Amino acid sequence: MNNNFWTVVGFTIRNKFRGKAFLITTLIIAVIISIGINLPYIISQFSSGEDEPTSIGYVETKEDLTSSTMFNGVHIAAMLNEHYSTQEKAELKLVPFADTGSADSNEKELKKAIVNGKIDGYIEFKANAEVGFPDVIYKSEKLMEGSVTQSLQTGLAAVKSKGVLQDAGLSAEQTKLLMSPVDIDAVQITTSEGAGSIGQGKTPSQQAMDMGLVYVIIILLFMAIMITGQLIASEITAEKSSRVMEILITSVSPLKSMFGKIFGMFIVGLTQIVAYVAVIVINMTLPHNAEPLAELNIRFSDIDPFVLIYALIFYLAGYFLFATLFAAVGSIVSRTEDLGQAVLPITMLSLAGFYICMFGGLSNPDSMLIKVSSFIPLFSPYAMVVRLGLSDPPLWQVWASIIILLVTIYVAGWISARIYRAGVLMYGKRPSFKELRKAMKAYKV
Amino acid sequence: MNPLKVEKIFKQYGDKTAVNGISFEVGEGEIYGLLGGNGAGKTTTMRMVLGLIYPDGGTITYHGKPYTVEQLRGLGYLPEERGLYPKVKVSDQINYLAQLRGMSRKDSDRSLKRWLDRFGVPEYYNKKVEELSKGNQQKIQFIASVIHEPKIIIMDEAFSGLDPVNVELLKSTVKELRDGGTSILFSTHRMEHVEELCRNITILHKSNPVLQGNLKAIKKQFPRERVMLGTGGDVSGLESIQGVTKVIRHENGYELFIDREEAGRPILELAMSQTDIQHFEVLEPTLNEIFIKTVGESHE
Repeated sequence: MNNNFWTVVGFTIRNKFRGKAFLITTLIIAVIISIGINLPYIISQFSSGEDEPTSIGYVETKEDLTSSTMFNGVHIAAMLNEHYSTQEKAELKLVPFADTGSADSNEKELKKAIVNGKIDGYIEFKANAEVGFPDVIYKSEKLMEGSVTQSLQTGLAAVKSKGVLQDAGLSAEQTKLLMSPVDIDAVQITTSEGAGSIGQGKTPSQQAMDMGLVYVIIILLFMAIMITGQLIASEITAEKSSRVMEILITSVSPLKSMFGKIFGMFIVGLTQIVAYVAVIVINMTLPHNAEPLAELNIRFSDIDPFVLIYALIFYLAGYFLFATLFAAVGSIVSRTEDLGQAVLPITMLSLAGFYICMFGGLSNPDSMLIKVSSFIPLFSPYAMVVRLGLSDPPLWQVWASIIILLVTIYVAGWISARIYRAGVLMYGKRPSFKELRKAMKAYKV
Repeated sequence: MNPLKVEKIFKQYGDKTAVNGISFEVGEGEIYGLLGGNGAGKTTTMRMVLGLIYPDGGTITYHGKPYTVEQLRGLGYLPEERGLYPKVKVSDQINYLAQLRGMSRKDSDRSLKRWLDRFGVPEYYNKKVEELSKGNQQKIQFIASVIHEPKIIIMDEAFSGLDPVNVELLKSTVKELRDGGTSILFSTHRMEHVEELCRNITILHKSNPVLQGNLKAIKKQFPRERVMLGTGGDVSGLESIQGVTKVIRHENGYELFIDREEAGRPILELAMSQTDIQHFEVLEPTLNEIFIKTVGESHE
């Protein structure tokens, strides 16, 4: 009899893999993933010739801007150039323009230079006696040139400190001490016996990997539920509307045919995910992508194995819980056109769980909302994974959540199988709850 | 012991009774006819036999044993509406359905090829069902219901949508199955098929069995009411014979309706006295007439 279960599983998988639609979608998504990963490299190939620093013009004005001789326009520009030249790759370059005498004609000259492509923009100095350092105005044709203004700001700040320090008579060590940034290392520790293996504390890199893992797991679970769940529901509805169901029910018990389908779809979905992961890994290990990866500081060895294992448990449990619900709904509806509306409540539930975690959980994993959600069966696959990855829930809470989830799956599976058994023979309009309950009583599973 | 025994089964949907106490038995190598108008309860009865729905009362036994999943797998079912995956290849789905009913893939595949050859459509093996015509889909559906060599087959409108050639083909196959000892529960609207195939019948009307029993015996219960008379020349005075209700003149004779069987003799005598007789027959009522009469009468 158990053979039948595997027969259903095999048939489900075979049909999906043979379908052209499935192969094409998988292929398209794989191509998109590949392009996405290689995009930084592709862009760098195209923009290699444009690595020259942005040219910024200024007028070599003789006029003293401040009382300090140090901070006149010419001097500042010189110091800025010096600052940028010490950079590994100079971000900006200052280009001097001779003073023509009047502000209007100066500006005209500079604008002409922009048109000619000699400079990208220009700065003007304005005296600010109160501060002792001139105000700087950057003018360019483009809107919101954040990177240039930011670069200018850091440059100017460095110039200012340097100028002031030169006058203050500090020793080289003192200057160095003053200029060096302060490092903060955040280490996550546990104060009680938690579920994760973070007793020794987690370095920022490990925390980042956990955060990434949580992201990936939640998104994968959400995708699996939405895509596979819909597929399960629509397959069942299709079987029902094509009346194959009448033949199936006489040959295989509803419980087996339902879970056979769910499990088959799970394998299909898993294969798809494995294929995508393989595409990602292959692309990331390509030699030209190694450098950007190293810059992002991704090290798979930093993943906490406990978090991974628990995350997988919740992933599987979450999938099967939602899948049984989708199967039940699919069996009630008689026409595929009505399916979208019927699965909406389940879709909303899944969406709610996803959003609670994405927006409420990732930034604040210890909030009451997440704590409560991590015990509610339909939300816990999302919420508990967030807590496991980003905070340190007590072990008993994790297991309590898992047990609640498993019991719910059992109950939902049982109810769904009954709905399935009763629902697949109800044609016409969608049955009311009363009709459904009555029909459910009539059948053995 | 009869392979299929249905005793006083009863089914209610809400306050509407769908089947009201029907009983029948299907013997080995017998085709049992289940007749009735639209909505008479045929399909509901068949679904109860299949275990798709459960009767609210009464019992169904298969080879003397009650309903079990194992028993049900040994049934064959040809549903009235198409019950196949439209987008799946014929070979894939027939083998799937056969495997679910306990056949090995190898056996079912061999059997499927044999059946396709037999129906003259071996090229359908690799085709999707949606690519086939309605009649050819029905052939595939037929194969699906018999491939696992069930001892009991339920056929709901087996020949619908088929052209006359294919009807004959399936009919001869059904007869062969019957001669091989299979018990078949058969429903149709085509009375001539029933007359040709069935030994016993039940006519359902508005959920109630109104007429039941051996087809020959049932026909005997109904009086012979029609006389076909073939003559060389004209015969006059047929209308005045006692018992004749209606006379229709045909090209080569007469069709007469009588209200008593004894009226046959005076008709023949009168005709013989006037002209040559080429043909004389007191006809049995057709099942079609019986059906219309039974169902029509209880309409009032």
